[in-house]
Amino acid sequence: MKTITWLKQLLEWVGGVRESGPPGLNLKGESLWWSLWWFLLILMISVFCGQSSKFIYIDF
Amino acid sequence: MIFNTFEYFFWFLIPSAILFRLLPAPYKPGVCVAFGVAFFVYFSWVDLNGIAAAACILIFLWESIFSRLYRPGSRWCLVGVVQAVLILVLFKYWNFLANLFVGPGNSFTWKNAFLPLGISFFTFEFIHYAMDRRQGKTEQGTFFEYLAFILFFPTMVAGPIKRFQDFLPKLRKPSLDAATDWRVGITRILCGLVKKFAIADFLTSVTVHLNKGDVEAAPKWLLLLWLFAYGLKIYFDFSAYSDIAIGSARLFGLVVPENFDWPYFRRNIAEFWKHWHISLYRWLVDYLFIPMGGSRVVVPLIYRNILLTMLLSGLWHGAGLNFLVWGLWHGILLVIHRFWSKSRWAKTTPNRFGIVWRTLLTYVSVNLGWAFFCMDISTALLFFRKLFSFPL
Repeated sequence: MKTITWLKQLLEWVGGVRESGPPGLNLKGESLWWSLWWFLLILMISVFCGQSSKFIYIDF
Repeated sequence: MIFNTFEYFFWFLIPSAILFRLLPAPYKPGVCVAFGVAFFVYFSWVDLNGIAAAACILIFLWESIFSRLYRPGSRWCLVGVVQAVLILVLFKYWNFLANLFVGPGNSFTWKNAFLPLGISFFTFEFIHYAMDRRQGKTEQGTFFEYLAFILFFPTMVAGPIKRFQDFLPKLRKPSLDAATDWRVGITRILCGLVKKFAIADFLTSVTVHLNKGDVEAAPKWLLLLWLFAYGLKIYFDFSAYSDIAIGSARLFGLVVPENFDWPYFRRNIAEFWKHWHISLYRWLVDYLFIPMGGSRVVVPLIYRNILLTMLLSGLWHGAGLNFLVWGLWHGILLVIHRFWSKSRWAKTTPNRFGIVWRTLLTYVSVNLGWAFFCMDISTALLFFRKLFSFPL
């Protein structure tokens, strides 16, 4: 259960839901990791953005 | 579209967030109002037409002026609630109700009907403000502070549904830790865009098959696959939207309510609703369920209140009978859960297998309900007849 909670906190942290990482995570060179993560996300957005459709919950 | 457009980020979000942070406190509501008006005019114009843009601005202007009359205990607050409901009914449900009560092709049909951008959400914020002002739960705020609240564009199109008493202190004193806000905000926005583009839009290519022709021809396993894909799609789509909205607000230094908290991993339907579209769930509880008596009445009336709340929630999601059935489905599930949770069988603590079983049961129940959300009633019934091999 502790592992699941830790993983959940990790995912929320890398997803921008939480400000700080899970307890016990010592990441050296945090700025570099964030830059790499953003680069990866932007890369995925660039690859997939062609199939864009409207958001379901927006009224039109 | 909006949140996945270049214009949203580079014409509206980034300039307004920077300006909001740079200007002194008295000018911050002005930034929200100016960019909010520009946002609604631009996107209403692009996606609809000039009339829709004008209608939006007129509604906001009228609401901001009329709400000045709201005082604790005042009847004007009730008038405010009624007019917000009327605005919603007029624009969203007029043709649905005319068709339902008079019949298709009647003379009451509004031929050029249009839906002002975000009407389902901003009318709920109007109702919240009127009711909370009446009960003295929120201060009035200045004219511009209330306008900034209702015109805060990152959340006005599709929530999260905010509360004025939560928003006002943050508007007056936003976070000054720009570095953390922008790191967290940008990460949230990027993750939201990935969820939308890479997952939700991919799943759309699977769920387009949920139509009469394809349902008739598909084997059972494929029907289930499509439905579960739709369940994932709606989660990823709306949580992606919420991520972008919450991340956008964070760039201003403002924290707005969360909308999702791992809803598909919940052990029962009540827990699911507490973690799915959270801001709507809380609104429904505070402004519909509790005013009807909530759970402080006799048991049959509690069940009635649950069913009515979920029926109206269904109708809010869309002007169609299928949405009513979807709401009813969830209402029935919640009633069954409440009945079960009060019984002696529910008192035992579940073991690991029990937890997995309950989570799966909740997941499947919710997903079966999506059939009524994404298909009209006749197609949904055909879907279930085929799935469970009922005689045609």
